[in-house]
Amino acid sequence: MTLTGARLRVDDDELVACVACGLCLPHCPTYRVTGEESASPRGRIAAMRAVHFDGRPLDDDFTRFMDLCVQCRACEAVCPSSVPFGHLMEGARDTLARETRYQPWWRRAGYRILGHHRLLLAASTALAVAQRARVVPRRLGLPRLPLRRTTLAPTGTDVWLFTGCVMDAWMRPVHASVVRVLTAAGAGVALPGAGADCCGALHAHAGLLDDARALARRVMSSMPGDAPVLVDSAGCGAALEDYRHLVGTREAERFAARVQDVSEWLAPRIDQLPAAPRHRRPTVAVQDPCHLQHVQKAHQHVRTVLRPFVDVVELDDEGLCCGAGGAYAAQHPELAGAIRDRKVGAIRRSGATVVASANPGCVMHLAAAGLVVRHPFELIDDALGGPGAG
Amino acid sequence: MDTALVGDLRAALAPDRVRVGALELDLYARDAGAISGHAEVVCFPLTAEEVQAAVRVARAHGRPFVPRGSGTGLAGGAVPVGDPVVIVTTKMTRVLSIDEDERMAWVEPGVLNLDLTRAVAHLGLHYAPDPSSQQSCSVGGNVATNSGGPHCLLYGVTSAHVLAIEVCLPDGSLALLGGLDAEPFGYDLRGAFVGSEGTMGIATRIAVRLTPDPPAVRTLLLDFTSVEDAAATVSAIIAAGHVPAALEMMDAEITRAVEDFVHAGFPRDAAAVLLVEVDGLPAGTDAAAQEVGEIGRAHGARTVRVAADEAERALLWKGRKSAFGAIARIAPNYYLHDAVVPRTRLVEVMRAVYEIAARHELMMMNVFHAGDGNLHPLIVFDRRTPGVMERVMAAGDAIITACVEAGGVLSGEHGIGLEKRDLMPLLFSAADLDAQARLRDVFDPDGVSNPTKVLPAGSRCGDLQRVPEGVWI
Amino acid sequence: MDLTAFAEAVGTEGPVTAVGGRTQWDVGGAVAPGTREVRAPEGILEYEPGEMTVRCGAATTVREVDEVVGAHGQLVALPDEAGATVGGVLAVGRSGVRRLGYGPARDVLLEARYVSAEGTLVKAGGPTVKNVSGFDLCRLLVGSLGTIGLLGEVRLRCRPRPARSQWFAGEVDPFALHRELYRPTSILWDGSTTWVLLEGHPVDVDDQARLARLAPVDGPPAVPAEGRRSLRPSELRALTGAFVAEIGVGIVHLPHPVDPPAPAAPDLHRRIKAAFDPTGRLNPGRQA
Repeated sequence: MTLTGARLRVDDDELVACVACGLCLPHCPTYRVTGEESASPRGRIAAMRAVHFDGRPLDDDFTRFMDLCVQCRACEAVCPSSVPFGHLMEGARDTLARETRYQPWWRRAGYRILGHHRLLLAASTALAVAQRARVVPRRLGLPRLPLRRTTLAPTGTDVWLFTGCVMDAWMRPVHASVVRVLTAAGAGVALPGAGADCCGALHAHAGLLDDARALARRVMSSMPGDAPVLVDSAGCGAALEDYRHLVGTREAERFAARVQDVSEWLAPRIDQLPAAPRHRRPTVAVQDPCHLQHVQKAHQHVRTVLRPFVDVVELDDEGLCCGAGGAYAAQHPELAGAIRDRKVGAIRRSGATVVASANPGCVMHLAAAGLVVRHPFELIDDALGGPGAG
Repeated sequence: MDTALVGDLRAALAPDRVRVGALELDLYARDAGAISGHAEVVCFPLTAEEVQAAVRVARAHGRPFVPRGSGTGLAGGAVPVGDPVVIVTTKMTRVLSIDEDERMAWVEPGVLNLDLTRAVAHLGLHYAPDPSSQQSCSVGGNVATNSGGPHCLLYGVTSAHVLAIEVCLPDGSLALLGGLDAEPFGYDLRGAFVGSEGTMGIATRIAVRLTPDPPAVRTLLLDFTSVEDAAATVSAIIAAGHVPAALEMMDAEITRAVEDFVHAGFPRDAAAVLLVEVDGLPAGTDAAAQEVGEIGRAHGARTVRVAADEAERALLWKGRKSAFGAIARIAPNYYLHDAVVPRTRLVEVMRAVYEIAARHELMMMNVFHAGDGNLHPLIVFDRRTPGVMERVMAAGDAIITACVEAGGVLSGEHGIGLEKRDLMPLLFSAADLDAQARLRDVFDPDGVSNPTKVLPAGSRCGDLQRVPEGVWI
Repeated sequence: MDLTAFAEAVGTEGPVTAVGGRTQWDVGGAVAPGTREVRAPEGILEYEPGEMTVRCGAATTVREVDEVVGAHGQLVALPDEAGATVGGVLAVGRSGVRRLGYGPARDVLLEARYVSAEGTLVKAGGPTVKNVSGFDLCRLLVGSLGTIGLLGEVRLRCRPRPARSQWFAGEVDPFALHRELYRPTSILWDGSTTWVLLEGHPVDVDDQARLARLAPVDGPPAVPAEGRRSLRPSELRALTGAFVAEIGVGIVHLPHPVDPPAPAAPDLHRRIKAAFDPTGRLNPGRQA
C-alpha cells in the first residue's frame, strides 16, 4: 500500500483509521437495503483507499459508490475507531466535482437556484401553477407547492430564526408556527433579510465546496451580533454548525457557536409555554433527521419539547435514515424508496398516527408515502391554539 | 475476466447481481482481518436455488467458490483465494418462520445475529450466541465459525443452538443436516458442519433454537489491584459452583482506554476489572450475585458495583463492548488475537503474553472471556511504522504457541481460516489432521468449497493441496 | 494415558467392537458374529474442579465419574444407568431425561482419543471448554456407535451440581408448564401425570413448584426401555397409549421396540462410513 497517492482531497490519517471491522454496516441505510459492500461505509472507505493509495481510477464505479451514499453520518456515531466518514465523503465528492463530470451543468444549475432565493420563489410559484394544471410528473415526488405564501413578521430581537431556501419557499407555515411558539416561550424572533437564503448543505454534500463557502459567508453576515441563531430545518442546522470547518475562520467559529436547533433552544425553557388541554393528544412517532441525530446530537430535545403536548412513541429501528437525504431522494428515487419502506414499516409497527420530523426533506419524503408528517413545532403550535391563539 | 463464467452466472442469477468491476472486487478481497486475496467474480443469490446454481456454474468452469456473509470474520475465512467465485449471502435476510411453541425459528443465512434476537424479543425470547460483532455478523457466518460471545459460558456456543441446516453441498445438491426432532438418526452431520468455515458447502436455511429471557439478571463490576487477584476470583467463582452468564476480564490498559472513551465509571487505576453477569430465577440470581461479591472481596476486590437498573447494566456492557473503540484513540491499527487456555493457567499465560509484547516492542492490551479461558490479546500499532507488521506477526505466533504449550487450543471463537491454518500442527498430529481432512473430503471431495482454509497443505495423507500464488499475508 | 495397548488390541484388520457395560448393546443392530471384542482402558486420569473438565478412560463407568466430580459439587450430563461406561454412552449418543435442562450428550464430549479403523491413535477436539480449532470430529463421534473409531480416552464437560434438586408431580398440562416454568431440568409425561425435575436455589424451586401446582415426589417414573422414538416437541401432544415422553425435547419412551428411521442424508452418511472405515471392520452389523 503506497501512501503517497494523494488522489483524493482527504486526510491520509483519517482514511487509514478504518480497520474494516464492519460494525458500521447495519447502521447504513444503503447497506441495509442492498447488502452490498460498495453501498456501505466500510466499502466506500475501501474504495477511497483503492483510489487514493493504490491508483485505482476515478471511474464510473467509484463515482457511483460515492454518489449512492446518503451522507446520513450514522456510521460515524457507531464507529469504534471514530473515523470521520462525513469529511472523507465530502472530500471524495469534492475531488469528483473538480476532476470529473460528477456534477453536470444541470445539477449545478439546480443547486445554484437554491442559492438565489427570489429565483427559487419564482420557480416554486411556477411549479405550483404547473402542478394545479397537472403537468408536473408525480414521479418527482414533490409535495403540493403553495401558490401564495404567508408573510412572516419578526417579533423581536432575542433570537434569529434562519429561514433558508426550500423550507421558506415550500413550507413557510412551519416557520410561522416556529415564530409563534418561540414568541410564546418569551423570545422575540428576528428574521434575517436578504442573504440568508441557503445554508449550502446540499452544495457541500455534492462536493461543491467553493459554492458552499460563498453561501456560508452570506448567511453569516445576514445574522450579525451575538443572539442565538435558531434553525428549524435539521439538516441546515448541522451545516451552519459545520461552518467552523467549512469556512474555518474565527468569525465562523463564533457564528457556529451561536447555532442551535429550535428544539435544543426550547427544551430548557419548555416550562415557559402554557399547558395544553389534555384531550385529543395524538400518538406521535418521532423520526430523527440524520444530521440532528448524528451530527448535532440534539435529537433528544425534540422529545422533551413534544412530551407536554403529545404522546410520544419511539420507533424500533435505531433511528435508521428515512432515505430523504436532502437531494438524494430526487436523484436516487428507487433506493430512497426502498430505504423509506423500512422506515414506514417501523412507523406502522409503532402504532402512531402522526410522524414528527424536524427536517423538510424527511417530511416531504415520508409524506409522499402517504404518512401524516408534521414539524414538531407545528404540533406544539396546534396544541397551543395555532394561528388563532394570542 | 472469464467472460464465459460471468455470462453463465448472470444467466443463472440475474445480470445485476453478478459483479466484476475491478474496484468492486477489491471490496471483497478481505474480511475484517489482516489478510487479503482476490475475487474473480462476486455474486448475490436470493434463494437456495440460486446458491445451487452459482455453485454449479463455478464448478462447471473449474473455479472454487467462497461463501461470504457480512465479512466480519477475523481469521480470513472469507478471503478469496484461488480467484474464486465469491457467493455473498447478504441479500438472504428473511426470518422465514418463528415457532413460539417449540422456541425455534428458520432463518436465511444473511439474517444478522442481533436482528434475529430483535425479531423474537416480543415473545420473551432471544438468540443466545452473542459475539461482540453481533449487530453486524450473520447467522450463516456464526454457523461457519461456531461463534461464541460472552454469554456462551452459560448458554453454549452456536453448535448448541442450531437444530438443523439446509446446505448447498459443494456438488450443488441440497441436503438437510440434523432435524427438528430430538435425535435425528445417523451421524451428527449438522455438528460436523457447524464450524467448518465454508469448506463443506453453503448454509441456505438454518433452524435455530431460541432461548427464553431470564426472569432475573444482575450485573457486577469488580476492580482489583492485581491481575492475580482478579484471576483467582474467576477460579473461585467457578469452584463455588456458579456458572455466570458472562465473566469478562479487562486489564489495566483496556480499562483506562475504555473509561476515557465511554465514561461508564470504570476505575482508571485498576490493575484489572471483572464484569460478571448472573441470571436465572430471582432467588438464585440474587444469591449468586451476593456470593460473587463476597468471593471478590475475599480475593482482594477493591470495589464491587452492582448495576442498579437496566440503564446502568447497559452502560457497563457498553464499556466492555467498546474495547475496540477505545483502542482506536490510541493508535490507528490493531490485531485482535484469539486463544484459549485452561482457566487455571490464565495468569501464567497472561504474564507470558505481556512479556512477548515487550520483547517485540509492541503495545498490548487484553480483554478476556475469563470464564472459559478465552483470551483476546490486542496488539495496538500504526501499520505505517516500518517493520511493525513483521513484529506483530511474530508476536502473534509466539502468543499462540505459548497458549498451546500451556494446554490450550488455537482458537476459541474466530476460527482457523487462513490466519492459523499453518499452526494446526501445533495442536494436531498428522493422523489427527488426516482424520479431519477425511471428514472435509466427504463433503468436498474435489476441494472447491473455500479451499486452502483450516487445514494446511498435505493434511490428507497422500494428497497435495495447491496453494495459489499471490495471496498477500 | 497410554493407549498403545488398546490400539494394538484393536489392530489393523478383522472385525472388532469395543465393549462397555452392555447396557445399550442392541442399539443400532446386533454386531456381526465373530467380531472380536476389546475393552478400552478405565480410570479417572485428570480432574481439576476449577477447569470443570474431567479426563478418563472410555471404559470408566458414568457413575464412577459422577461420584468423583460429585465430591466437588459437579456432575456430568450423561445417562448413568448401572454399569454404563462413558465410552459406551457417548458412542450410542442418547441423552438422559435431564436433557431439557442440561443439553444433549453430544455437547458433553470436549476431546477424545480414539483408535481408527487403521489401528492408529487419533485425537479429536481439545482440552478446553471453548474450542473452534479445526473440524468438529467429536460431534461426529458421539452417536456413531463406534463405526468411525473406538473411543480410548475422553475429556468431558462438567456442570455444577445444583443446590437443590427435587422431582415433583401433578395432574397438570405439561405443555403449559414448559411454557411457564423457567428452565426446568426435566418434564416427563405419560398422558395423564406430569413429573418435573426442578433444580436450583431452594426458594426458586419451591416457587416454581407452587406456580405449577406440583407436589414433591421421590423420583421420576419408571421409564420404559424397550422402544424409543424421536419426535418434534410439538408432536408429543398427539401421543396415545402407553408412553413416557420428554416434554420440550421430543423423546418418547415406549414399552415396545421401534424401528429406527432412515438417516436424513443417506449419501453423505455412506461416504462418511466409507471414508473412516473402508473395509467396514468397526462394529460390523451396527447401523449408526
